[in-house]
Amino acid sequence: MSKIEELAQAVETGKAKIVPQLVQEALDEGIDPMEILNKGMIDAMGVVGEKFKNNEIFVPEMLVAARAMKKGVDVVKPHLGAGNSATIGKMVMGTVAGDLHDIGKNLVIMMIESAGFEVVDLGVDVPIEKFLEAAADPDVNIVGCSALLTTTMPSLRDTVAALNKAPNRSQFKIMVGGAPITQEFADEIGADCYTDDAAAAAEAAKKLVQG
Amino acid sequence: MIIIGEKINGSIPSVAKAIEERNADWIRDLAKKQADAGATYIDVCASVDEDKEVEVLHWLIDLVQEVTDVPIAVDSPSPDSILGALPFCNKPGLVNSVSGEGDKIAKIFPVIADTKWECVALCCDDTGIPKSAADRLRVFDHIMEEAKKYNIDPSRLHIDPLVEMLCTTDDAMANLAEVMTKIKEQYPTIHITGAVSNISFNLPYRKIVNLCFMVLAMNAGLDSAIFDPLNRDLIGAVYATEALLGMDDYCMEYITAYREELFGPVKS
Repeated sequence: MSKIEELAQAVETGKAKIVPQLVQEALDEGIDPMEILNKGMIDAMGVVGEKFKNNEIFVPEMLVAARAMKKGVDVVKPHLGAGNSATIGKMVMGTVAGDLHDIGKNLVIMMIESAGFEVVDLGVDVPIEKFLEAAADPDVNIVGCSALLTTTMPSLRDTVAALNKAPNRSQFKIMVGGAPITQEFADEIGADCYTDDAAAAAEAAKKLVQG
Repeated sequence: MIIIGEKINGSIPSVAKAIEERNADWIRDLAKKQADAGATYIDVCASVDEDKEVEVLHWLIDLVQEVTDVPIAVDSPSPDSILGALPFCNKPGLVNSVSGEGDKIAKIFPVIADTKWECVALCCDDTGIPKSAADRLRVFDHIMEEAKKYNIDPSRLHIDPLVEMLCTTDDAMANLAEVMTKIKEQYPTIHITGAVSNISFNLPYRKIVNLCFMVLAMNAGLDSAIFDPLNRDLIGAVYATEALLGMDDYCMEYITAYREELFGPVKS
């Protein structure tokens, strides 16, 4: 097994203690840091997401894999050259005003970070103005809004409506999600993208910035 | 949870028959199944007359060791039989058991003092099973004084506060929980064990009582227990309770055991 395969396997199985060590060994072997990041970790998290989607693994297994990857990223990051960005995009993410739920949002953040994004977490009960302010950052490619309650779906609608009127609207995409949200509702309120779980969200986010 | 697999016990009629007929395959099969189900120790109890007990224990221990590396719990009410059987074990296991009765401690502790053998100690003495929690703790104090004399670390002891049948003593659980909590407070590294199925004697549908007992006892500090590891519901309850008590990071132990089909629906 190559060092990269070994690393990918350690990430997939969530071995947070071994991952940083394997990243260091890969660096010592002279493997390109970008390859370590992409092939050894981001692709491995893609496999994890796929397995989760197919009900082969459970939420905590996805969490430990993401945690393991994070430890690996810390080691590889300083070695990425100036031309090589560690991130494929920037996302801001929050739970809409009136809604205090954060478990689902945090899970999505973990998976999207693991897909290679920089994510700014706006937290919960985020007022529309705060979303707008964050979306004004010209580096932001995606704005994610989460709502966990049927009673906060109108708040999600208002947030998306306000984002749709932002002067720099063409620079970012809007992703929405949360237990009561459906594709139909997402279309109705004018969001660009909806997915029904964290793994699918990471896949979709990649597609949004790459295609 | 330290699981002491209880199935090889001559007081169970089918096992008594296997011993009588020297049915080696039957015993090997019981050992293998318990090892596969995750037993930490395989308990071996002959339940025969004392004059042939060591010989039967020897036969049983050899059979278990032919099929698994899981260490043995040498189980006998006679300290002499236990001491006679210890040399047949390939590696240190568990002495089951001593108590405040007679010369049990005086015979066993010096022999296991400088070894890696662990030991079950029951909170009863020559006066019988103490009724109150305070009296059991008194026996416990005596056991610990002796252990200290022989330099046996608390982490090598499995204290059995004595599980009694619920249907004749309303406060059985409350008493036990009190004893367990106090013992753990004094010696955080000590193990607390018990014979789980004792609680449900003479009640109908015993398994639900056993299962609920396991949960409550674990909450009070039970971290070792004598039961049938092939009881998948009980094993499931153990893993779930450990997770609920915050002893299982990210529920990974629970998930892994489920995946290994130690509990839950049988897929294969």
